[in-house]
Amino acid sequence: MFCTSCGGKISDAANFCGSCGSQVKRATAPVPPMPPPLAAADPPSAPPPSIQRAGPTATCPWCGAIFDGSLLSCPRCGATVDAPPVSTASGWEKLPGRKDMAKLQFGDSFCQIEGKYVPVADVKLAGADSVYFTHHVLLWKDPQVNITTMSLAGGWKRVFAGMPLIMTQAQGPGHIAFSRDDPGEMIALPIQPGQSVDVREHLFMFATDKVAYDWFSTNIWYTTQTGSGDDAEQETHHPVGMLMDRFHAPQSPGLLLLHAAGNVFVRELAANQTILVKPTALIFKDPTVQMQLHFEHPHTGFSLWGSWANRYLWLRLWGPGRVAVQSVFDRMEGENSNITSCSSATEQRW
Amino acid sequence: MNDKTALTCRACGAPLDIRNLVSESGWREAPRIKNMTEFQFSSSSCQVEGEIVPVAEINLSPGDSVFFEHHIMLWKDESVPLTVMQLSGGMKRAFAGMPFVISVATGPGRIAFSRDATGELVVLPLHPGMELDVREHAFLLASHQIDYSFIRIKGLANILFGGQGMFMDRFVTTNTPGLVILHGYGNVFERVLKPGESIMLEPGAFLYKDSSVTMQVEFQKLGTGFFGGTNMSLARMTGPGRIGVQSMYVHHKTE
Repeated sequence: MFCTSCGGKISDAANFCGSCGSQVKRATAPVPPMPPPLAAADPPSAPPPSIQRAGPTATCPWCGAIFDGSLLSCPRCGATVDAPPVSTASGWEKLPGRKDMAKLQFGDSFCQIEGKYVPVADVKLAGADSVYFTHHVLLWKDPQVNITTMSLAGGWKRVFAGMPLIMTQAQGPGHIAFSRDDPGEMIALPIQPGQSVDVREHLFMFATDKVAYDWFSTNIWYTTQTGSGDDAEQETHHPVGMLMDRFHAPQSPGLLLLHAAGNVFVRELAANQTILVKPTALIFKDPTVQMQLHFEHPHTGFSLWGSWANRYLWLRLWGPGRVAVQSVFDRMEGENSNITSCSSATEQRW
Repeated sequence: MNDKTALTCRACGAPLDIRNLVSESGWREAPRIKNMTEFQFSSSSCQVEGEIVPVAEINLSPGDSVFFEHHIMLWKDESVPLTVMQLSGGMKRAFAGMPFVISVATGPGRIAFSRDATGELVVLPLHPGMELDVREHAFLLASHQIDYSFIRIKGLANILFGGQGMFMDRFVTTNTPGLVILHGYGNVFERVLKPGESIMLEPGAFLYKDSSVTMQVEFQKLGTGFFGGTNMSLARMTGPGRIGVQSMYVHHKTE
């Protein structure tokens, strides 16, 4: 078996991982799959129906919710009902279409997603409901909506753009709206009881109070060196972030809203199926999906000494579970420098 | 008033065959101006081209002129003369390290403008007696019938960049109707506040307001449990009047 935190191989009997020292968490209950996997591609002559309508109810192709068949969009995740889901020939599924002003429901509260370039999540909180968010995504609020700070053990270690990352909570009743500073897409992830999802840091817009928030060390890093001898400078880089957020619904279902830059694509990996993605493009994954660095060296015929640029740095992910990527991503720092050490990685030389 | 057969508004370019999108909380989405829409102001016309980072292309009649920040010019006819507007105090204002200069282009001829990020154009025809306050560097252009001035608001800037303050441009109509075109980052929403009604805005979201809407900076302390935490400043906007917000914030270093 493999360590869930660093991906290193460990013996089945071990209680701690030999490479990173983290405690081995034995699966107590299998994580339920989130949305049902995409139906296998039908022949092009018969495009799959966007939605399974069985009498008066409909099933959402994205989140699996069953709802009144007369509705035009899924009340749980806002996916448009009458547009067929789009998936690439390679198996990436595009986020479901969402009409401007689509509305989703959680508890007694509603969230309306407004705008197409940089969408706004406009939340109408019922009296007993609350959501939490990081304070820099706040766009506007009714004066009576109360904002308080959530205490996070060890939270002061987390920093965003030089500021402490503060988790804040908004209590209903009233309206509060959120947006982030990138053209992109909003992702609604309903979380079922017992289910968890791992999210790249700083992508989350808000989560409902029933969703538990934690984070873990990604243990994905590499160290670069510039200069040599006494002038040598070492720098450590974390291409998927030093930390990753983990959202978990312990008992009751919850809603998690993310915002990714550009367009979003999701795919379901079978057990031990692998895929290489740009490390900075990863948005979220199921906790069952493991990751590590992967170096790829194209065949050059002869060795160009010191040509670090002639090497690709990937994030290797393997299933079972879902992974999602965004089409706009940050440049990877130090990618083409002299990498002196890194977290556990695989290598391919052509 | 428009012709019954018109597909877009003659004065602001808004599509007439699509109904307004209004959120349940009362925000109206800025009308998404269709690609290549043309509309009139004074005796000149403006065509809006593109949808992701739209361009405003002006066809100036002789005698008409528009003013704008010089760095947003995209292209122009060689023959269109440019002058600089004399501003009191403008020398103290800088934009991204450049001196802040308002330029004026006079017809006849064509000149086109665009800003540097995804967004929407907001076309605001102003009638005599109207006063509009706009966040700094958000206006694309205004027609010559409009008087321009600016004020500095202390303690107001985006949460991420601290409260070092920002400028607000003020547009006042004289005796003839004029036109102001803004570029909002991301999507733009507008609502009308009733007298005494108020809403709290992230300062980076503020795009424009009628001058009858008051703006007050309020601080909320956010404790982290360590080092005393941080202050979050929010702008309390109180009616009566219109306010416009943008969903994305691009920070230009202002001094």
